[in-house]
Amino acid sequence: MQRLNEQSNIALKRTVIVAIFAAVAVVLSMVESLIPLNMGVPGAKLGLANIMVLTCLYFLRARDAMMMVLLKTLLTAFIFGTFSSFLFSIMGALFSFVAMWFLLLIGRDKLSFIGISIVGGIAHNIGQLTAACIYFNTTKIFYYLPMLLIMGVLTGIAVGIAVRYLVPSLSKMSLFEGFLA
Amino acid sequence: MKRGDLLLIGLVVIIALAFIIPRWFDRDASEKNHNELRTAKITVDGKLFKEVTLTQEEQTIEVENEHGLNILKVHDYGIEMFDADCPDKVCLSFGFVDRTGGTIICLPHKLMVEIEGPSEEDGIDATVK
Repeated sequence: MQRLNEQSNIALKRTVIVAIFAAVAVVLSMVESLIPLNMGVPGAKLGLANIMVLTCLYFLRARDAMMMVLLKTLLTAFIFGTFSSFLFSIMGALFSFVAMWFLLLIGRDKLSFIGISIVGGIAHNIGQLTAACIYFNTTKIFYYLPMLLIMGVLTGIAVGIAVRYLVPSLSKMSLFEGFLA
Repeated sequence: MKRGDLLLIGLVVIIALAFIIPRWFDRDASEKNHNELRTAKITVDGKLFKEVTLTQEEQTIEVENEHGLNILKVHDYGIEMFDADCPDKVCLSFGFVDRTGGTIICLPHKLMVEIEGPSEEDGIDATVK
């Protein structure tokens, strides 16, 4: 009985963390859309929501993080997206999720959060460009990839630094006990 | 920051620069012979809407359909999105495009502008029997 209680307790905590992270990620994307940022690369964003995805991947299992990514993308699409923009963001989000999950599995000791978030950002860009290629039926869109790569490095560094501060402070909270890797 | 991170950053920057730097040279070379005019292909929903020659004189092209309105302006051998009634205005941030391969995209309106180089037409011109 005690053991069963503990298990359902963990499951409940997981659900709560996924919900909180998804909500914070949505808020971060809203904040991001308020920041007028034009760095000469069309469509380039800071990718603040990536902070939450990476932190979630660090604490929880891959399927929970996947759930969080889907929730976040759906919520943002409902709040300010159209159907086509939803297709693009889900494509980018899934690419970035898979890339970061894979790197956390194999490269945890070789790469820090900065490296992982850079790859995540770049995978997000590639996912969106691939979606655009299918949508417009042309490969010429990849013309913008080099500029997006440079932006991905810069924003990835910023996101990685944020995660490096966020993970230790969250680890001190009682909610995250039992999830420390 | 670990060594792997620095390696990764270096690798990505080198790959990106390897694509960007040749384009600068390409641009310098093509600025000398402006007599070869480029064309911009405007497509809506994957279907060709119009092909315009990028002249120095100003021309305004209005693209209006069930998705919305986009106003494109051609000037100084290039093209730019002048105004649009889409919600995100990302297409306006593409700015003035004048290089071959350059594109302007308005996602909500399914509109795409691609610049095609003069070399392709030269290729067709050469096949005279």
